[in-house]
Amino acid sequence: MALLEVEGVQKRFGGVHAVRGVDLTVEKGALLGLFGPNGAGKTTLFNLIAGAAAPDAGRVRLNGVDITRYPAVRRARLGIARTFQVVRPFRSLTVLDNVLASVPSAAAAHHNTVDDAMTILASVGLDRRAGDLAGQLTLGMLKRLEVARALALEPCLLLLDEPLAGLTTGEAADLLSLIQKLKARTSIVMVDHNVRQSLALCDRAVVLDAGAVIAVGTPDQVRRDPEVIRAYLGEAAV
Amino acid sequence: MTLLLQLVANGLVVGGLLGLVALGLALIFGVMRVVNFAHGEFITLGAFATYLLVNNLGLSPLLGIPLSFVLGAAVGAFVQTVIIAPTAGRPELDVLMVTYALSIAALGLFSQAFGGDFRSYSQGPSGTLDIGGVVVGWRSLTVLLVCLAFGAATMFLMQRARIGIALRALAQNRDAAATCGIDVRRSELLAFSLAVGLAAAAGSLVSLIGTVTPNVGHEWVLDAFVVVVLGGMGSIGGAIIAAIGLGLIHSFASFLLDDSWAKILTYVLIYAALLVRPQGLLGRADA
Amino acid sequence: MLKGAAERSLFGVAATIAVAAIAAALPWFGVSSYVRTLVYYTAYFLALGQAWNLMSGLTGYVSFAHGALAGIGAYAVVIAMNAELPLWLALISAIIASVLASLIIGVTSLRLRGIAFTFATLFFQELVLLVVRKLSFAGGPGGIVLQEILPIWLPHVLMMAAAAGATIILLLIKRTRMGVRVLAIKDDETAATAIGINATRLKLVLFAVSAGIAGFTGAVHGLFASSLFPNVVFAVDISIIALAVPLIGGAGTAMGPVAGALLYVLIREALQVIAPGLHLTIVGLLLLAVILFMRDGIVPVLARLMARGKLPARAVPANGPGA
Repeated sequence: MALLEVEGVQKRFGGVHAVRGVDLTVEKGALLGLFGPNGAGKTTLFNLIAGAAAPDAGRVRLNGVDITRYPAVRRARLGIARTFQVVRPFRSLTVLDNVLASVPSAAAAHHNTVDDAMTILASVGLDRRAGDLAGQLTLGMLKRLEVARALALEPCLLLLDEPLAGLTTGEAADLLSLIQKLKARTSIVMVDHNVRQSLALCDRAVVLDAGAVIAVGTPDQVRRDPEVIRAYLGEAAV
Repeated sequence: MTLLLQLVANGLVVGGLLGLVALGLALIFGVMRVVNFAHGEFITLGAFATYLLVNNLGLSPLLGIPLSFVLGAAVGAFVQTVIIAPTAGRPELDVLMVTYALSIAALGLFSQAFGGDFRSYSQGPSGTLDIGGVVVGWRSLTVLLVCLAFGAATMFLMQRARIGIALRALAQNRDAAATCGIDVRRSELLAFSLAVGLAAAAGSLVSLIGTVTPNVGHEWVLDAFVVVVLGGMGSIGGAIIAAIGLGLIHSFASFLLDDSWAKILTYVLIYAALLVRPQGLLGRADA
Repeated sequence: MLKGAAERSLFGVAATIAVAAIAAALPWFGVSSYVRTLVYYTAYFLALGQAWNLMSGLTGYVSFAHGALAGIGAYAVVIAMNAELPLWLALISAIIASVLASLIIGVTSLRLRGIAFTFATLFFQELVLLVVRKLSFAGGPGGIVLQEILPIWLPHVLMMAAAAGATIILLLIKRTRMGVRVLAIKDDETAATAIGINATRLKLVLFAVSAGIAGFTGAVHGLFASSLFPNVVFAVDISIIALAVPLIGGAGTAMGPVAGALLYVLIREALQVIAPGLHLTIVGLLLLAVILFMRDGIVPVLARLMARGKLPARAVPANGPGA
């Protein structure tokens, strides 16, 4: 059984059909890339998985359990953790408190003690900033803080929403190597509008255009897919 | 049957006044995303202004209505410029507390200046009109007609005039409106000033059919808040429907039970509405 | 750094207990009844302010109903005492009554974000007065009187305990995991929910605790006042003071309401002589000035002024950037 199964989900906003019947699965331990040009419906699909919005039709299952109607907090308890496209740190809290605020998921082995939190901060390279206010960090650090906060849930599924957006080349490289390491700890779904930087990292990739899946497969298959080249890579190749 | 129509007529007068007040609240919330907790004190302002004009200067209360509107609009423009505009970009909480603090200060001032006396005047329209057994006071009829006139004028402004379109654009999407060259500061000034003018005009009408006390605006604005919550925050259409509905409920409950029970019923209704349909009558359910 | 904060809050707890003990002993030191009354009222406003602070200061969800919640406590204690219940049981029933009342507001509005809660409290303030005036067992519009005559020191000592207890709860809760999560909700409720914080439940629990403190405070004041008139007990003024005291001093901090309560009592006394009717206006204007010009209340401003006096060369870091 796959870890996450998304089945025929649809979402409309007024007259816009943002997601029109998408199916996808995430296997345990896999990193799934979710690609597509701006407005392809990636973020909407992401929100449907994270529980920030409910689909108009279709099903979302985690380990076979139907979670379509579960609110975000309940999904977090089941081990679905997320980051945000535009970072949302708790700016008035310290870096350490940001991580301590996380509630470990029901299946978690740890209790998120100060030691646990420091270990997590060390794994994202923020342990030396533990006592600083989150509001004082740079964007690259905030992105890693969000990952740390998500890891404190001990997630079975980590959702990364455009983790590289807005980062400098150096910061992006750091974050990519962090994501590479995270693959050992949790399954991951990563949204990115830029295929070039992160496609190589994925086990499988799904490409969306205009709210529908236009290609699924290994990075190599997707890279060679004519639909993808036309709808998406073509634009980047110009 | 006559009794039924009589109660409906009474309900419409209350509903019209509530609608006028709620229209301003919805306008401010729609355009500025601000809940104006000082709105009630602007009603009181209009009520006392009219009372003083009638009582001390011997003017007709009918003249007091447009004068209150102008006074309210001017005070509204001043408050927006000096107190509310500087909080732009601050957390919502700050803006909310600013209007609340203003309300406290004004309520205190009115109480200090006028004490707890119940004031009223006898000038202006008087007598009653008998329409097939339904007795409507000329004063009540005046209130209803003026409410309709102000409401229609505001709606016309919002639908047709260029500034109205700008206000609606702002309510839809602030960032997009700003990039389209809409002057946000000026639009907000106009919305706030217009809304406060409407509140003061409503206060003037309140003085025509009731007594004037420092608390009068506070009492009316609470019902108007019920109206905007029921109607869906910022939805003008929802507010008007809710205002008339609440006016009717009030009229019938006051007759069948008494005035306090009518109010208790109103509040019970609002808690039920929050539970069942928090987005209001016409609001959309957003995540 | 973290240890320092823990030590500071322990020091705060010890200092609070010491000050409260001295204040509570005043009736036996032969101070004038005027001074004792001033101390009593400072503690009363402090306890109410801390109760408000616990919910609204920490979460950012503004309550306009803390005066009404306290009023319910006052009524409950007097009704219970008149029914011959012992004092401790009467006080507990007051707390329970206020907590139950808070659930009416909380259950209907705290699932929602933003302004719904504030509206629910605004309507509650009016609703309670209307309902109490209808209840014959609560004396209706005429109010009720406490039958038993209590020694004058009893409400005084209890009020010092209420103020100290409320301050200590605030100091300690900020050090717990729950406190961290509450502050996370205030910063960003969406992000808090995404990391598994059940914001609705946390807000409900905090509001219930806050209402319990308000109820106890109101109950003690009910014993002090002993005659309750609905229009006085449920006047909107008490709710205004409950929020003005912490906001003027500095919301979300333990020291803020202390400074706010002292300042408010001073202003009230000064105006008692000059212009008794103007105290609400002054509170409103002060609140306006604080929100517009002193975002974090007067305590940080005072601290900066004092620091400047002592250490002119070293800049004291402010409470983070004014984001």
